[in-house]
Amino acid sequence: MPFLIRQTLVYAVPLMLVALAGVFAERSGIINLALEGIMIFGAFMGVLFVRTVQEWGWFQPAYDAGNILGLQGFCFLAMLFAAAMGALFSLLLAFAAINLKADQTIGGTALNLLAPAVVLFFIRIIANQNTLNMYKGDAASWFMLKKSMFGYGRKEEMNFLGSTFVDKVYVATYICILVFIVMSIILYKTRFGMRLRSCGENPQASASLGINVVKMRYAGTVISGALAGMGGFVYVLTTANCSANGDVAGFGFLALAVMIFGNWKPLNICLAALLFGLFKCVAASYSTLDINGDGVYLLKNLNINTNIYRMLPYVITLIVLAFTSKSSRAPKAEGIPYDPGKR
Amino acid sequence: MKKESFFDKAGTRSVLASLVAILVGMLAGSVIILIVGLTNSSLGIKGAWEGIRLVVAGLFATGRDAAGGLTFGFNSASFGNMLFRAVPLIMTGLSVALGNKAGLFNIGAPGQYLAGTAASLFVSLSVPTSVVPAWLVWLMALLAGMMAGACWGAIPGLLKAYLNINEVLACIMTNWIAANAVTWVFDVSNLKNVLEGTKSGYIYKTSTVLNDVVIDGVRSTVGANIPEGAQVVATRGGVATAKMGLDSIFSGSQVNGGILVAILIAIVIYIILSRTTLGYQLKACGANRYAARYAGIQDKRNIVLTMALAGALAAAGGALYYLSGNTEFFWNTYQSLPAEGFNGIPVALLAINNPLGVVFSAVFMSMLQICGQKLTELTAYNEYITNVIIAVIVYLSAFMLVIKMWIGKLRKGKAVDK
Amino acid sequence: MVHQHFKLIEVFTVLDNIILGAEDTKLGFVQRKAARKKVEELSKRYGLNVDLDAKVENITVGMQQRVEILKMLYRDNEILIFDEPTAVLTPQEIVELMQIMKGLAKEGKSILFISHKLNEIMEVSDRVSVLRKGKYIGTVNTQDTTAAELSRMMVGHDVQLVVDKAPAQPGETVLKVTDLHVASRLYKHDAVKGVSFEVRKGEIVCIAGIDGNGQSELVFGLSGLEKCSGGKIEINGVDITHAPIRKRSEAGISHIPEDRHKHGLVLDFTLEQNFVLQTFEQPRFQHMGFIKFGDIRKYSERLIEEYDVRSGQGSITMARSMSGGNQQKAIIAREIDRDLPLLLAVQPTRGLDVGAIENIHRQIVAQRDEGKAVLLVSLELDEVMNLSDRILVMYEGEIVGELDPKQTTVEELGLYMAGAKRQDRKKEASA
Repeated sequence: MPFLIRQTLVYAVPLMLVALAGVFAERSGIINLALEGIMIFGAFMGVLFVRTVQEWGWFQPAYDAGNILGLQGFCFLAMLFAAAMGALFSLLLAFAAINLKADQTIGGTALNLLAPAVVLFFIRIIANQNTLNMYKGDAASWFMLKKSMFGYGRKEEMNFLGSTFVDKVYVATYICILVFIVMSIILYKTRFGMRLRSCGENPQASASLGINVVKMRYAGTVISGALAGMGGFVYVLTTANCSANGDVAGFGFLALAVMIFGNWKPLNICLAALLFGLFKCVAASYSTLDINGDGVYLLKNLNINTNIYRMLPYVITLIVLAFTSKSSRAPKAEGIPYDPGKR
Repeated sequence: MKKESFFDKAGTRSVLASLVAILVGMLAGSVIILIVGLTNSSLGIKGAWEGIRLVVAGLFATGRDAAGGLTFGFNSASFGNMLFRAVPLIMTGLSVALGNKAGLFNIGAPGQYLAGTAASLFVSLSVPTSVVPAWLVWLMALLAGMMAGACWGAIPGLLKAYLNINEVLACIMTNWIAANAVTWVFDVSNLKNVLEGTKSGYIYKTSTVLNDVVIDGVRSTVGANIPEGAQVVATRGGVATAKMGLDSIFSGSQVNGGILVAILIAIVIYIILSRTTLGYQLKACGANRYAARYAGIQDKRNIVLTMALAGALAAAGGALYYLSGNTEFFWNTYQSLPAEGFNGIPVALLAINNPLGVVFSAVFMSMLQICGQKLTELTAYNEYITNVIIAVIVYLSAFMLVIKMWIGKLRKGKAVDK
Repeated sequence: MVHQHFKLIEVFTVLDNIILGAEDTKLGFVQRKAARKKVEELSKRYGLNVDLDAKVENITVGMQQRVEILKMLYRDNEILIFDEPTAVLTPQEIVELMQIMKGLAKEGKSILFISHKLNEIMEVSDRVSVLRKGKYIGTVNTQDTTAAELSRMMVGHDVQLVVDKAPAQPGETVLKVTDLHVASRLYKHDAVKGVSFEVRKGEIVCIAGIDGNGQSELVFGLSGLEKCSGGKIEINGVDITHAPIRKRSEAGISHIPEDRHKHGLVLDFTLEQNFVLQTFEQPRFQHMGFIKFGDIRKYSERLIEEYDVRSGQGSITMARSMSGGNQQKAIIAREIDRDLPLLLAVQPTRGLDVGAIENIHRQIVAQRDEGKAVLLVSLELDEVMNLSDRILVMYEGEIVGELDPKQTTVEELGLYMAGAKRQDRKKEASA
């Protein structure tokens, strides 16, 4: 059970962060189909940052001394760097969509093609293979919380909460949750958030009230890029041992589905992401999943082909979309280039 | 509906805009190569210059001379392979172009391509050629592939038409479902290559001759060499696209008649779109779904039909590629989608969704891939730079309209109509 | 400024709409409590009742306008501009608005009121400036002028607003609608609730009503763009209640749609392609699925000639590049030329200039005189009064009155439109 909850969170948290990234872009009126590409780019940049800093040896003393705070700080820096790079990358979309009034679907697709191409090009040049790993050690030994850090011995078990939420957990996951909450509050409670949302509904009205629609849409897209970039890095940190290979397995698109399923609202997105996280988790680890702790691998014993489990999240997404699309309500002006002359 | 001088002008401008996109894409690729070369001591400016020359003219690269310099000339293998690899790109490009004409962004081509590949491989490797002539098996396989693709494409079409689900999202989901489903069906099939030890993870080539034999009452499958005492029950495989003499023109390459089939299909699609009531309907739905519905055109039926047709086209790409008989399909593909599917998008955009233009842009994309291959072979760079160039081209095609206006302004010195 | 088209965010609450763009904040957080107090004070002082927590999409048009006014007051503006504010209001709401404007003026605000409705101008203004075709004509004090003088200034010559037409000669029934229900696209209830009426040969029946009272849905139900949830539609005795759009068109409905850009034309098609939008599958335009380009060109050229559709390049002009008036002419040419027994014309003159309006009115009357049945849906009271032979008033999805334009007044029509008055038509029918 602790394993199931922990693993679900591992998948659900990046998913909801990236879905929120989609919300910021779409609420400002820009369809961000490039979430996948931005995640790939952010993941690569984050890993590259970790790798380079390790090469410089800056955090080696902290690692040798087992300084948890120092290492988590390092991880946090990498997250920030990935976010910044994601934001930078998303400027490409913002420029095309806002300044050049480009087709946002095609623009997003271009970024989705560009990200893996650029990333793989550089990974091959840097690492001479198709995967970029950490310079030294692995993600678990550098960034993961372990029960031994809290004085528990090898044979000792933490209590339920401890083994679910502390042992074998990345602090990055909790930072993402925090970011998610803060950004949701900003979207709903601040002047900035209110103005941003108005631009996705009726930009002409916003402009008539003195709101700079272009600036707001840039802000929405860039925040979207930052969140997706961070989400991408956290995704590879927690599920791929902090290595980048120009792929996040359709996670960005899954996030878009979560966003639609969540009706562009943070709380609903949170629940949707948990649901998808659960399915992802089952797909990834059904064969070793011991749900009620009695030593029986129920799902494995069902003897269903692995590929069916792998397919499941996508099939569920389609089914869920089929049921929710009628009642879902997208921001009214999304995807429509802002034309000040139109009424 | 007929082309007049005005359209010709607009047409020229479109072609020019595409050329600008290509130029900028190449330039971006060259700049990256240059930067990497300058910052990487092992490459240097000399390496960068070699890289740029290969990106532009890799098609003509013939290798390195004794002094280590790059040599260029007519390379029949490269040319032939360019045509060979253009086949799936033409088909997926047509698929995306048809969707775009009808107002649907078919990003589901990779999944449809996989569906077509799987169905055609199953038919071509399962139907006994000892009973049915090989050419007929080939045709059956192609049609089966197209059918499978049509069904697969119809799914997002149905979801879009009747449940109003964004086709982009539905297509992406069906892509991944296809990747998993294909892995699954081949995983449990008997088509995995077990005869050649080095080919694990691959399906047999369609040209492989397989004999189902019975030795001492035990049934098994062997290759062309039949062991003594074995009784042949059935012969399968040995199916391949006819070369049609192209291999003698482009010696050393994999080219075959598939390219002619693809061009023929492109012409048919062109005629359907520009000359028939069906094309008129699809375009009306694409340009204004509401007006089409108002006029009594069945927009929902047309959406499904478009997606099914697009699916069949993309699937034909997969079928033609693997039915060539000299390519092997890596079946354990659940983690990745075929690039040929996604590359249909730049092919279509570059051709401004014109089916005949698709042929040319597909050949161009295929040439870029050859350049990338030469880059990997001959320098320390790698083939992914061509994907960067392609992505830049797609990025530019997102605002093709703006580029067209710029060109219009340059040519006329004044603004053109919207 | 109060715009003709409201500048409101539909999914925001009334309060958020009022403060948007002028929010008081503390640390970036919007101070809604303080804002609410200020808005409540304002609405009390000026008598502008609104529900601050309702979403704008759920409130009436009149209330939306009050929100627009509150927006200006919240910003402590001294000069208020009203751009054609009465276009979407009921006569009663207009009276209310006039009072509000007078009240604002009394409180010391300056009001600039842009309108082409003479009676409103005469009632509410102190001074009038007339603009004609972008040129300033002159300013007069309202007290010293008359409506007739103003209209001369506006148009340049005396105009005859009444349409010339002979009395109607109604023949047999063409369209018969019985207890029709159409579901609303946005909400869960029916937008059209049990509507019954007939349209006969040689008469113009007009559906009047304030925008959003089910007229659009009624038209969608008749034309097949929306499914009917109950009732019956017959054309010349043929039941077409559940027929697809193409079948209805063949059964005899031609349809000039409300929104010419959304439904009427494919803007990125050429003029000739638009002319055959419904008819391209007829044998005269295709053979074995192949389009007869030459015949379409001939047909298009004839329509252009006969209906005087002007465009840059004739048949191959992109519909998008044509003027609004000529786009509408093209649609009317296409619909009338199909020569079907029922013409369904929905706001056929919306957004057009006076000359184009006259032309279209003439064409519609000509159709009637040729023995067509015409069902006109209009929001313009002048059009309703001048053009129709019978008026049916729709209010909240029901027909609440049948009026004879010759025996009724705009004021009475307004009472029906606002739901203040209704006839019991069911009783009459059964009696």
